[in-house]
Amino acid sequence: MRARIDRRVLLRAALVLVVAAIAITVVLTLAGPAGATAEVDVTSEPGTNRVAQNFFNGVVFGLLLALASVGLSLIYGTTGLSNFAHGEQVSLGAMLAYFLATQQPVSIPLIPVEFTIGLPLWLAAIIAIVLAGGSGWLQDRFLWSKLRKRRVGVVQQMIVSIGLSLALLNFLQWWIGPDRVRLSRAIEERHQIGPIQLGSITAMSIVISVVVLLGVGYFLMRTRLGRATRAVSDNPALAAASGIKVDAIIRLVWVMAASLAALGGILMALYDSGTKFDVGARLLLLMFAAVTLGGLGQPFGALVGSLVIGIVVETSTLWLGPDLKYATALGILILVLLVRPQGILGRAERVG
Amino acid sequence: MDLLFDLLREAIAPTTAAFALAAIGLNFHFGLTGLLNMGQAGFMLLGMYGYAITVREGGPIWLGIIVAIACAAVFGVILGWPTLKLRGDYLAIVTIAAAEMIRYLGRSQNLNDLTGASTGIRGNDFKGSFEELSPFPDSMVTIGPFTFHGTRSTSWWLVLVGWTLVGLMVLLYWRLSKSPWGRVLKGIREDEDAVRSLGKNVYSYKMQALVIGGVIGALAGIVWSLGASVQPDSMGRPTTFWVWTLLLLGGAATVFGPVLGSILFWCSLVLVKGLASAFIPTTVLSSQQLEPFSLALVGVTLMCLVIFRPQGVLGDKKELAFND
Repeated sequence: MRARIDRRVLLRAALVLVVAAIAITVVLTLAGPAGATAEVDVTSEPGTNRVAQNFFNGVVFGLLLALASVGLSLIYGTTGLSNFAHGEQVSLGAMLAYFLATQQPVSIPLIPVEFTIGLPLWLAAIIAIVLAGGSGWLQDRFLWSKLRKRRVGVVQQMIVSIGLSLALLNFLQWWIGPDRVRLSRAIEERHQIGPIQLGSITAMSIVISVVVLLGVGYFLMRTRLGRATRAVSDNPALAAASGIKVDAIIRLVWVMAASLAALGGILMALYDSGTKFDVGARLLLLMFAAVTLGGLGQPFGALVGSLVIGIVVETSTLWLGPDLKYATALGILILVLLVRPQGILGRAERVG
Repeated sequence: MDLLFDLLREAIAPTTAAFALAAIGLNFHFGLTGLLNMGQAGFMLLGMYGYAITVREGGPIWLGIIVAIACAAVFGVILGWPTLKLRGDYLAIVTIAAAEMIRYLGRSQNLNDLTGASTGIRGNDFKGSFEELSPFPDSMVTIGPFTFHGTRSTSWWLVLVGWTLVGLMVLLYWRLSKSPWGRVLKGIREDEDAVRSLGKNVYSYKMQALVIGGVIGALAGIVWSLGASVQPDSMGRPTTFWVWTLLLLGGAATVFGPVLGSILFWCSLVLVKGLASAFIPTTVLSSQQLEPFSLALVGVTLMCLVIFRPQGVLGDKKELAFND
């Protein structure tokens, strides 16, 4: 397990960014004059440097994305599963928070009673995260651990996760409805700091995500359980032989991943000032891009990858219309697999 | 009784034929070769765009079909080039990402003149030349218990063409899977290293399978678009997942699996919706909630299929396509 991010890694990340910029410019020239209109429709207030602002937005988006993708990476590392239902865990967090916090009447599927819960947002968020963590526990207890016990192949498990994703996505739409919902009606105060604007809610999201990510890092590097998690990630058989309860660790990873994803979903809903039942489904591929970019199964790689993806997604809107920003990130994913399939932080033996 | 007619009507509808075609393509990928193509909707969308744009700009039908096939083939080569040497789930992630990228590009405002952005291309812009070829009269035609329009959109003409194509592709799959070429592909599915040690170029065989399956996917896209219109958002990830579900339902690596799966899939969707709207009161399940409810069931079906009966209805447990 390599923890330090050495200079070569940063160089590679920079290289990827440069290549991405070139790719974007090529697409832009192909797209022709339509690209120029994209410049105009982003309104910026005086005193705000758009490049700095977009870069900063990218860092924020990257941090929030990292919350979700660290869990995806941990699950991949410990079980080998590419979990396609992870996006729905993000949506689930946001939807649960909305369900608990909204002043609108809500209902539970198949029960024709409407009621209002209307908890304060912070309490709703905490309960939502706990419930989402519980959903991770339930999933592992009743689905994934059974499949592992039956020695079902990883590919089969992946298709099961696709089925789960389809089921959860439509369940959420059935439950909350197809409309965009808001977690908080509060209007964000905006402050001018140097060349960028920063809203108060965004600032809080940054603090929360940085603290949580540092916490995850501390857990993985310094605590016994975290070391055990990394051991399982490196070599499950060897970890089991040295007395680590592999199944318990994997269950812990599922709970952690689901709660982190829920937190990511809630913060993302605040940052975007709105959320929808398919928010996670749209983020899923960005998460995969981040995780693959950083190196499949490397939790710190997921962090680096998320930041790169976040920055690329947001700064690409300077050249391209905002409707192409996700496409750029996916293009980078394909490019990375072409030149360095093990990712920035990955080791070659993971590929093959 | 009405429900029964609806079911039978759905069984022969062009949509069912289109999905059967897409599943046959996927069967070349997954059933025969063991490739995890999670971007079949991307191939379909490219086929649609290739055909619809060519015909809209005044090209003849045969040119449209060639353009569609060429687009899908090039897309397959580009996808396969970096990923076919890597482990299976890389191909899955790349194909799903690439398919989504096609969709994002298609609905992007930057390409509005070419693809019509998120509204897509209207059916009237490209269907004309196909509908002119119809031997059926230009009015509603009733054959047996079913009534379709003779030529327009979801028509007898499209039913005929769609199912003829399905028949041809089933024949192609049957011949190819029995051929020496097909046996090499099955060998790759079972044990890549063994095939490589026999001196076969595994990479090239996988690429051929990917391209052939993708081209069939593009044909499926054309059939779909002739029944509806070109709409990028109708070819999102759920579409790929449906194709997977119905392939696994019918039985991967079987000749008739994709066709049977497609018919079963669409009929059971109609059945679930029909039964739910008949027996569950609207206070419990409103008509707006019916769609997500039945699609959630599709997801659960996919999970149960993979866990309990991975060989599907027609499949042979010994010839199971899952391996890492």
